[in-house]
Amino acid sequence: MARLSSQTTTHPSRRRTQTIDLFSRWSFLTPATVILVAVLAYPIIYTVVISFSELSLATFSPSSWVGFDHYVDALSNPNFLNSILVTGIYLLFALPIQMLLGFGTAFLMNAEWKGRGVVRALFLIPMVVAPVVAGGIWRQLLDPLWGAVNWFIGLFGAPALDWLGDPTLAMITIVLIDTWRWTPFVALIAAAAMLSLPSDVFEAARIDGANWWQTLTKVTIPLLTPIIAATFVVRWLGAVKMFDIVLASTKGGPGQATNVVNLYIYEEAFRGLHFAEASAMSVIVLIITMVLTAVFLRASNKLEEKF
Amino acid sequence: MSIAVRSHRTQRRVGHQVRIWAGVIVCLLFLFPVLWMVMTSFKLPKDIFTVPPTIFFTPTIETYTSYLQYADVPQRMLNTVIVAFGASIVSIVAGAMAGYALARIRIKGAATLGVLILASRGVPPIALAVPMFLVARNLGLADTHIVLILAYCSFLIPYVMWLLRGFFVALPKELEEAAQLDGCSRMGAFFRIIVPISLPGIVSALIFSVILAWEELLFALVLTNNFATTIPVAVAGIAGDTVNGANWGALAAVGTLTVIPVVLFALLVQKWLIRGMAEGATKG
Repeated sequence: MARLSSQTTTHPSRRRTQTIDLFSRWSFLTPATVILVAVLAYPIIYTVVISFSELSLATFSPSSWVGFDHYVDALSNPNFLNSILVTGIYLLFALPIQMLLGFGTAFLMNAEWKGRGVVRALFLIPMVVAPVVAGGIWRQLLDPLWGAVNWFIGLFGAPALDWLGDPTLAMITIVLIDTWRWTPFVALIAAAAMLSLPSDVFEAARIDGANWWQTLTKVTIPLLTPIIAATFVVRWLGAVKMFDIVLASTKGGPGQATNVVNLYIYEEAFRGLHFAEASAMSVIVLIITMVLTAVFLRASNKLEEKF
Repeated sequence: MSIAVRSHRTQRRVGHQVRIWAGVIVCLLFLFPVLWMVMTSFKLPKDIFTVPPTIFFTPTIETYTSYLQYADVPQRMLNTVIVAFGASIVSIVAGAMAGYALARIRIKGAATLGVLILASRGVPPIALAVPMFLVARNLGLADTHIVLILAYCSFLIPYVMWLLRGFFVALPKELEEAAQLDGCSRMGAFFRIIVPISLPGIVSALIFSVILAWEELLFALVLTNNFATTIPVAVAGIAGDTVNGANWGALAAVGTLTVIPVVLFALLVQKWLIRGMAEGATKG
């Protein structure tokens, strides 16, 4: 109460400095806020508006209001539902494999020797190969006729595999390419995290006579849990945007076998010119992604507190 | 007793050797596809389409010379440089200021804003692509560098804010207090004291932003069609070219040109890059 009265009787110049102070606080946020409202908030709102309207292809702007029609269409479109399922399968395999391989590789990478720095630097390379280029390279390597991979497995008597033409193999191929591109990313983060673990704990475990399995499950993994959770969230945020690798390698085929949701919506909007339906689908994907992101962030924070 | 200890030591040394060599082999496996692409880019078609694959061949730059003029690759490369650096610089300035505000300045509603921006990292770009395309078209901005730069800010600014907020939180508070006692304004203190001290973080964020923008495909496909088209779109075009069939030489050559600058860049700044990655994952 005293504070309130002192504020109401503030000297004009003092109030001016307060205004200036408020202005100087907010001035830091202004550029980012203005740009993000223009390129993030506004487009999302506009997508929602389009998803409830008919979009005129003459003016490229929304015209009449149609309610939930596009949502009903989207949710009864088997190809769209299939693309969500395909994305789910991809995420379900790719993320755990990349986390496991990444942390395993990090262990190998951290072995102390004079070439360690070079090995680590070279691991950066797959990570900075543009995904669309990655898709292109692997399409050549996995080509059923001329690809190096089929020739190599042929040396061991394996039959030539149609990596991109068989529905199941095509999905494995997508996971394989994505894993090639992203495992080094997980590995480099994991390697840095492992090096920063306190060494006295491991010393204590060794003195107590723990074998490597006990050390791994009772000491290393619990200590690494926060970083595993954080890396998973970062990787999830990237993986839900899967688009380029599929476009360059399988184009969603054969049939709809690898048509991830982002590619399906892209084709629907920019090849089929069904902008309104595509917007409804985007909103559905946006909601699913946001909910799952919130769940993962929450779980990750909980794990960080627990360990 | 001593024999047991010695055999234990030998075991450990062998284990160490195995670990080193396994690491080297895994590393080579991961590098192989890139090496293969670079090799393919220097082959003639007769050396590309062979079984078993040709390993010894006369290198030629024919694919480069014949393809580069026809596909406008230099122009697309220049576009990619303009857009990647343009978007990164805008995002670093806006993102660093905002990240600092979230880390250090008490503002009502800033926490909510921070959560919103963090959550926005999960927004699928396709949800932004349709309205961006429609608006750019209606404003006559389609196929310009500026529209692509702005579109890239939609994912770069949240990323930079998120990364740098962690750096700023870790700085000692006394820094700004001293600066303000010396009569610096908040903005002055930020640019004269905080920015120079946080340069490692800012450089990491800049490197990552340039790489992310360099390889972006979806927005570039949607928002440009010729004048401002970037190099990933060119790669996608060759990969999806059904008329000329599998133009593997061209794909390898343009792929190599896309990858080489970033690889050199990444190797040059590897320490900052690795640090940025580690910080980014821990300080969310």
